[in-house]
Amino acid sequence: MSGDRAIVLGGGVNGLVAAIRLARGGRKVVLFEARDVLGGLAAGEEFAPGFRHTGILHDASCFAPELAEELGLASHGLALGPRDDILSPEAAGRGLVLSADAERTAEELAAHSPEDVARYREYRAFLDRIAPIARRLLSSPLPDPARTDLGSLARLAKDGLAVRRLGRDTMFELLRLGPMCVADWLKEWFRSERLGCLLAGPALDFGFAGPWSPATNALLVRHEILSGLAPRGGPAALVRALEASARAAGVEIRTGASVAGILTAAGAVRGVRLASGEEEPASVVLSTLDPKTTLLTLLPTGTLDPALVHRLEAYRSNGMTAKVHLAVAGSVEFASRPGERIRRARTGGSFDAVERQFDSAKYRQISPRPILDVSVPSVGSPELAPEGDSVVSVLVHWVPRDRADGWSDGARDQLGNLVLAALAEHLPELPAAVQEIEVLTPADLETRFGLAGGHLLQGEHGLDQLAARPTPELARHVCPIRGLFLGGDGAWPGGGLTGWPGALAASAVS
Amino acid sequence: MSASQVWDAVVVGGGHNGLVCAAYLAKAGRKVLVLERRHVLGGAAVSEELHPGFTFSVCSYVVSLFRPHIIRELDLARHGLELIPLEASFLPLPDGDSLCRWSDPHETRREIARFSPRDAETYPEFGMAMSRIGFFAKDIIDQPAPDPTSLDPRELARLLRLGGRFRELDPDLQHLNLQLLTMSAADFLDLWFESPVLKAPMSVSGIIGTFLGVRSAGTAYVLLHHYMGEIDGAFRSWGFSKGGTGGVSRAVASAARAFGATIRTEAAVERVLLEGGRATGVVLENGDEIRAKVVVSGMEPRRTFLSLVGEENLDPEFVTKLKRYKLRGSSGKVNLAVDRLPEFTCRPGGGAHLRGDIAIAPSVDYLERAYDQAKYGDFSERPYLNVVIPSIVDPSVAPPGQHVVSCFVQYAPYWIKEGPERWPERREAFGDAVVDTLAEYCPGLKESILYRQVLSPWDLEQEFGLTEGNIFHGELSPEQLMFQRPVSGWSRYKTPVNGLWMCASGTHPGGGVMGAPGELAAKRLLAERAV
Amino acid sequence: MPVESPFHPRTRELCRSYRWKDWAGYYAVCAYDTYPEREYFALRHAAGLIDVTPLYKYVVAGRDAAAFLAHLTVRDVTKLKPGRVTYLCWCDGAGKLLDDGTVSRLDDDRYLLTAAEPSRAWLDRNRRGYEIDIDDVTDRIAALSLQGPLARDVLGELTDVAARMRFFRAADTTLAGAPARVSRTGYTGDLGFEIWVNREDAVRVYDAVLTEGRKYGLLPVGLDAMDVARVEAGFLMNGVDYASANHCLIESRKSTPYEAALEWTVELERDPFVGQDALRREKERGPARCFAGLVVDWDETEALYRAVGLPPQVPSAAWRASIPIYRPDGRQVGYATSGAWSPTLKRNLALATLNAPHGAIGEKLKIEMTVEHVRHRVTAIVTEKPFFDPERKRATPAREEPAKGKEVAS
Repeated sequence: MSGDRAIVLGGGVNGLVAAIRLARGGRKVVLFEARDVLGGLAAGEEFAPGFRHTGILHDASCFAPELAEELGLASHGLALGPRDDILSPEAAGRGLVLSADAERTAEELAAHSPEDVARYREYRAFLDRIAPIARRLLSSPLPDPARTDLGSLARLAKDGLAVRRLGRDTMFELLRLGPMCVADWLKEWFRSERLGCLLAGPALDFGFAGPWSPATNALLVRHEILSGLAPRGGPAALVRALEASARAAGVEIRTGASVAGILTAAGAVRGVRLASGEEEPASVVLSTLDPKTTLLTLLPTGTLDPALVHRLEAYRSNGMTAKVHLAVAGSVEFASRPGERIRRARTGGSFDAVERQFDSAKYRQISPRPILDVSVPSVGSPELAPEGDSVVSVLVHWVPRDRADGWSDGARDQLGNLVLAALAEHLPELPAAVQEIEVLTPADLETRFGLAGGHLLQGEHGLDQLAARPTPELARHVCPIRGLFLGGDGAWPGGGLTGWPGALAASAVS
Repeated sequence: MSASQVWDAVVVGGGHNGLVCAAYLAKAGRKVLVLERRHVLGGAAVSEELHPGFTFSVCSYVVSLFRPHIIRELDLARHGLELIPLEASFLPLPDGDSLCRWSDPHETRREIARFSPRDAETYPEFGMAMSRIGFFAKDIIDQPAPDPTSLDPRELARLLRLGGRFRELDPDLQHLNLQLLTMSAADFLDLWFESPVLKAPMSVSGIIGTFLGVRSAGTAYVLLHHYMGEIDGAFRSWGFSKGGTGGVSRAVASAARAFGATIRTEAAVERVLLEGGRATGVVLENGDEIRAKVVVSGMEPRRTFLSLVGEENLDPEFVTKLKRYKLRGSSGKVNLAVDRLPEFTCRPGGGAHLRGDIAIAPSVDYLERAYDQAKYGDFSERPYLNVVIPSIVDPSVAPPGQHVVSCFVQYAPYWIKEGPERWPERREAFGDAVVDTLAEYCPGLKESILYRQVLSPWDLEQEFGLTEGNIFHGELSPEQLMFQRPVSGWSRYKTPVNGLWMCASGTHPGGGVMGAPGELAAKRLLAERAV
Repeated sequence: MPVESPFHPRTRELCRSYRWKDWAGYYAVCAYDTYPEREYFALRHAAGLIDVTPLYKYVVAGRDAAAFLAHLTVRDVTKLKPGRVTYLCWCDGAGKLLDDGTVSRLDDDRYLLTAAEPSRAWLDRNRRGYEIDIDDVTDRIAALSLQGPLARDVLGELTDVAARMRFFRAADTTLAGAPARVSRTGYTGDLGFEIWVNREDAVRVYDAVLTEGRKYGLLPVGLDAMDVARVEAGFLMNGVDYASANHCLIESRKSTPYEAALEWTVELERDPFVGQDALRREKERGPARCFAGLVVDWDETEALYRAVGLPPQVPSAAWRASIPIYRPDGRQVGYATSGAWSPTLKRNLALATLNAPHGAIGEKLKIEMTVEHVRHRVTAIVTEKPFFDPERKRATPAREEPAKGKEVAS
């Protein structure tokens, strides 16, 4: 089949990774991106004259180093470094900084919560112990319990044995920790809830869960295992390297090309139809768009089994995150850390405070005092803003797409004001220095990025939706329509700019 | 019996599981002694006449999944056990409407169709799917928990068999199984139903006795409990025991005695007697020493080890695990004696709708708000209530024309923000909140009350030894079930203390008036020739 | 408790036997008399009137109504012309039968679907992407089945659409001043019509039909007599001869249209429809089972009875039970699910599900029969269905000759 034309839908991280893998495998690959820029949620864009952000998402530290290596990203300009230190600011007090640098974290904890210094070391050691096997699981196709051929059984036995070799206690602990809530598990480890909140944050981001929600602990461990070195220059830098690698591999990239439908004949794909009406033939279509868009919107009505349609409709993908970009005159300084150049911060110092954010979302409201996930990318990358000025980028979680009163211009402004007020608690100088503000509600993100439901992970990370993502019959990247593959974050192993869904989907093609 | 006699087994706690365990051991010819601290047997499965003429099922009020084979094997019907099935599930609504689900499928369909014709049709399909999974799950509750870490070929074979059975389920059911184990009750029901009026009362069965909300992941699987009994064929799953829930305990006690067991009440155990690290008997509060080959605890695990054995006699790692075992009681009980049948505004008069359980659970948001209050250390101002009036179908529990109203209440957290020991000061306010909530649907209720008993989780702990007021001897959350109940590695009723065993709800398969832990513990003791 | 059909004020008076059953949540008469014979003979020699309101009825309307129904069922409903009715079945995604019924094209973009099972949820679940409205008219539309050789004459007294209506056609008309839809369909395998009226007109229409029918020997007929007629016609019944896949606890209880002798309704090669892939595979592979008619040998039956000193006995009503069917060598090869003594054919009939190779016409099998508390095996021969198939059922009336009803099959 090599030499066949393959079409990749979506020019985000997954789309680019998949396209490169396919092209390097000898196929002719055309990638269609509806927007004028590549990168999707990782695209760096100018949001105010002279001010650029480095992606809707802040964190690219989960991108697989194995893929960076395989795709030769270093030679295309990608530089990896330790992930950003992250501050949990306190209105009155120094707060706490969590750093990838163990020494720095130990110093911080010694001042903040001395008994946690040793505990934190043990915590990292526990994660290091389980990391190799967990990483292998998350970077391989999902094991299929229904398959009993020798190869599958051998793999299952090998993985089972590898887990068992960690020792009975570790194995018990692995089985115990998954269904727990992050708050319970982290409270077993640490005295400081502020530390707990910093650790729990990435597990809860974008999702419909709070720290007291069961099974969030599995997500915490997942993130801890995946997160490693981060691209210097943020997600946007990753996209630039991927684009260069893709072009070098011979991928034809067409931006501003929105796909209106996937064409099928006799149970197989035969190409796509663009919004402009042109038809593009292909025997392989690998979609990195979200599963609902791909299968319910782009495929002709009546193509899929009703049970599958029903399952896809029930796939939970209600967006939970809004984004605010601020163009700020001068530099920004956190009150708790005068004089320090802080690139990342996350507010919220107690599990209950974070939980209350989720409470609001449950009733389809926005918390009146939102907790913020802040990035100041201009620190260390001054080229993102006019000289001396700053870019502040804020992810606001627990902002429901299905807001009870719906989304309107008024609601958007209100959200912007809530965020400014919440920022002012920690950055008192900031509101006066804001020159421009861009507020993207979950509804705006849905429209701009073509995400059904507006969910930034292309669907909830509930255990059911991770273990069979998006549905059991689609969990191995293949579809009932021959030649159609799913490779977005709505496929195994889930979201978070890892590159694995795209890579595994590309592997499933051949 | 002489003081120096050595019993084969002494069972600490005469709750229903302790009694079941004793009965099985006695049936196998072992000399068994049961010691109960209170003056009455049954533990939380107890009936007491607290007001003249009124018999209350003080704590546990319905018999949910009592294993039919235990009824057969212990011949409990001959010992006076009579179970009366619940006939309906009634949900009064604040807008004056109501939903009643009956045992007649067509009537239920028409009733649900008033709210959603689609749901009315989906409802039996849902029941069918759940029964199919329940059939699979039944194997799990009727056997000791499998041990996934074991390298013993027999264990691996068992695991493979379970895995094989799982693979035999069609893909739809495998998916359903996955969803049940991981999703929240509310999300899971969203997959099936559209009407909030149906989803709210169905979802609550996912949270009974746990400190979780209907939107908390992992609560869906408890929905299965409602469907498991139905395919046993022996009896419908939910019912009253004649004479109150204590009837179950009385019947089991009678069977145990008939097999030769000795049962003593008002015999509180102070500690487990240890000799050379081995349990050799117990010491009573009055100083008496009783010697036995094994001591079987029908008490909750944390209490068993930390108060009866003592931390100093245990491996610190085991103590850590016990300490993080989650109990966190979340429910209370209000029992009322009333001089007339409660009348609901939405369905005036008596009638079949009162002959089952009555839920105050008007919406998922209502339930979730009740949970939110509890999360931050308050009892719910407007709680979820599960109300039954057993005197309608069992006139023996109240004087003619008068009734017993039993209200199970959630959420009433043990850990209120004032601290659990302050519960006595808040007890009556809690009782008022419950009566006020019910009175919104039953306006004449307050005037009809002759007697009121309010049990906070603190009271459940003080009176019944339910640590932190947890009615299941520990939360039924996935990390505390199966091979992890009560702690990983010790799920087979045996404990790290030689000669000390466990047999109650803190062991597999968990809480509820099931009898299964007591039975499985006894069978394990016999199989291992420990007695 | 079941509810009352709109005809209940009349049927209650007429049902002197007090024998009722629950049909889809409605009270339905088993037999108006203590024994159903009179009603059966009315069906086959004159005419009978059956309350079939409990059938589930849905109106599907809108631009995509035809495409939707074609997607949902095994037939290409898009080809159905206005005023026509078709019999069909529908399956789940795995090609397993859910239900069978009729689709009637009411006008350009309105269709009436009848079903034995509640199907609203199924329709709703599959409507994504189709521009349609689905209206559940089950409770609003009362339905009567007027069956028998003189059915056309009876109906002819009330409306002139009856006279020239062809088999599986339908038309709107007025009956006793009430708007009604009449279709030439039924469940007795005979000449007959079904009448669909608004609930509030039910009693008026019932009275009119019964009054006009008296002079043709029309009788109200209960389900017992209809059941005998449908066995003679070889019609399978959901819940009796096959189980809807929705109700099956185990896979082996489900059947495909090929196994249920409904392959003639399946139109495979067209746009995708629910279950298409699975049905294609089933067709290629060949079904594992088949649904067949059996005639139980009378002489053997008689001999068995004679051996114990009894005259032969026949069941007085149709039966529904699972009776094992064996090969002559004793191996079980299937099971009968319903049967009846046919008073017309004087034959003992059964409908059975058989392992595929045993369904050939003429194959000699054995059916279990209990005579005086002892089980025996009696020869049963696979026979073509329908067992009884009068020409009048589908005959197109000539213009001048309104009825052919007097010609009764022997």
